[in-house]
Parts: sequence; structure tokens; C-alpha cells
Amino acid sequence: MHQQAQLRLKKDEVEKLGAEAYVVLALDLHRTKAFKEENLLLSRGEGTFSKEPSLVFATALSDPAGRASALYGVSRKCLRWGSWVENHPCWFVIDRRGTLTYVSQPSFSTPTSYVTDIDLVLEALKKAAK
Amino acid sequence: MPLMARSTDGLPGPWASMFVLAGVLVLPAAGWSQEAAPPLERYRKLEFPPQSENFDKGWKDRVALEFEIVNAADLESLRAALKDKDAFVRSIAARTLGILADKESAAALAELVKTDPEAMVRHRAVESLGHLKQMPEVIELARKDSDAGTQWAARLAAGELASKTDFAAHVRQAYAGGIRREDMDKAKVGQPAPDFVAQTIDGNPFRLSSVVGKKPIAIYFAAFEG
Repeated sequence: MHQQAQLRLKKDEVEKLGAEAYVVLALDLHRTKAFKEENLLLSRGEGTFSKEPSLVFATALSDPAGRASALYGVSRKCLRWGSWVENHPCWFVIDRRGTLTYVSQPSFSTPTSYVTDIDLVLEALKKAAK
Repeated sequence: MPLMARSTDGLPGPWASMFVLAGVLVLPAAGWSQEAAPPLERYRKLEFPPQSENFDKGWKDRVALEFEIVNAADLESLRAALKDKDAFVRSIAARTLGILADKESAAALAELVKTDPEAMVRHRAVESLGHLKQMPEVIELARKDSDAGTQWAARLAAGELASKTDFAAHVRQAYAGGIRREDMDKAKVGQPAPDFVAQTIDGNPFRLSSVVGKKPIAIYFAAFEG
């Protein structure tokens, strides 16, 4: 969710590039809608995004069987960090010609590594926009 | 819903029967002895069970078997699997029975929510009660579960109760499309972006190819907490 929250802070830059942002969830429509419209996770703490009602600027897409996730090689359907995880979170950037130009799996290595992750995505989008 | 002859959504009975017949005809060529094992049994014997240490191993097998279980496992086996010794088998059975809208399993799912020692089983069971729109008092109870993921699942299940939409039907339709192993893991840098179909939160179909080639695109595949 931090990835999406940080991307939302860069909404103007994304729009200036004429780019589109999508977030795909291997969840049904009800849960995808909640992801898009409700700040269920980060509102529980005291962090940067805790007071925001909604954190997702990207167009949210429901992929309930995880078919798109499997196609893109990110489906995991596995436990991780003690919880059930459908996908290995991953960014993809596609250029104006329809070619995949960037793939990156966030490391979650520090509490604020999402800032660098999104900066890198924006750099990739700038190149893809040329 | 009959136990053994579940029809594929959107397919009239005779068509579903033809698919079953076609499957029987294809099985010997595909390797009879291995393919004949029921999908839940093969899930139990996965080389890389869905444990944390296998996060990046064997995922294609898990994906393929999940499609097979949702599309082909019979309700009787799934209901029995709610009492399986293997928590992963209980978990996927609980999830599948919700997707298949098996209201007869509601009481057994509620029991799992209240008593199963494994959080992932309680999580899937309460999620399925949401799909079934049953047992609101058990869903409410799960909002105070010791596991944060189960609390979360319960909160979302409670929201599902309040909706008239049959979200499980959407999930069944998505699984019914099936998946081929050779289609998995096709996204490679320098190659054309693989096309896929999903749904917007308004329930409208979305096809990636409708926007690709027109503008730069960023796609994030998320875990719910990611």
C-alpha cells in the first residue's frame, strides 16, 4: 500500500508524462474496490499516510483468479511473513510501442524504501514516454 | 448444486458434459497414472507446499492446481477436506467452497473460523462466509481474531454481506477461463507486454491491449498489503 500511496504523491508527474498507472490485485471486485477506496491498512498506525481516507491514484483492476498475475510471473499463492500472499509485489513499465522496458520488485528493505521504488518507476516512465 | 456434475458457469449442461467427455478422452494421452489423482491429493503432495521458504519455488504448480481444484474438485471431497490434517488442504478447501457458493458448508466453515489453530485457515474460512453471505455473527467474531490478517478478512467479509452483488460468481467466471502452464511467466523486458483481461472496480471489463501502444504505462501487481 505504501507503493500506491507514494505514487499518488507523484500523480502530477505521471499525468504530465501522459502515462497511465494501473494496480492489479488477485482479489475479487469487492476486495479490489476496498483496496482502491479505503485506507484499511495504513490508517491503523501513526505513519505518514494514516490520516488519508484513500491512498490509491492508479486504476485498480480485479484479477480474481490471479491469471494476469501468473502471466506476468508474479503469482505466488504462498505464505510470507506469517500471512497469506497471492502475489509477489512487482512493478512493470511498458513504453509507447507496447514493449516491456522495466521490471522491479520492491525490496521493502527499509521503512521508506517505497520512496526510491517510485522514483525509479518514474524514471522508467520518462524513458518509456520518449 | 449437484455433488459430482458441477457445470461450468455460462455453459449449458450438454456443453459441460462434452467438456467432461473431452477431458476423459484426453487423459490417457496426458499420462493417465499421474493425472488420475484427484487435484486435492496432488495439492497435498506438492513438491513445494505454499510455505514461506518456498515463496519463489513451485508457484506454477500451485497456480495450476488451484485452477484445477476450483474448476474440477467435487464438493464432497472439498467438504471432507475441511477436516484434513494438512492446514494447507483445509485452507484451499475453505477458499474453494466459498467460491463455489456451497451454502451447505457454511456451518463447517464457521467452525473453522472459531476453532482452527491455523490463521490462514480461519482467514480463508471467514472470507468464504462473506462469499456465501452467511453467519454474520461468526464474521463479527472474527473481527476480534488474534491474527491481524483474519481480522482484515473478516472486515472485508462483513462488507460483502452488505452487498447484493454475487462476488463469488465473478471469481468462478475468472477461474473458468483456465490457464495454460506455457502462458505463465511470459513478461520479459524487451518483449511485447503480454495482454490480459481484468475488471475495473465498476465491474467493467478491461483489456490491457486496449491501452498499450498509445501511452506509457506503469502496472503494479500488488499484494493487499503491498
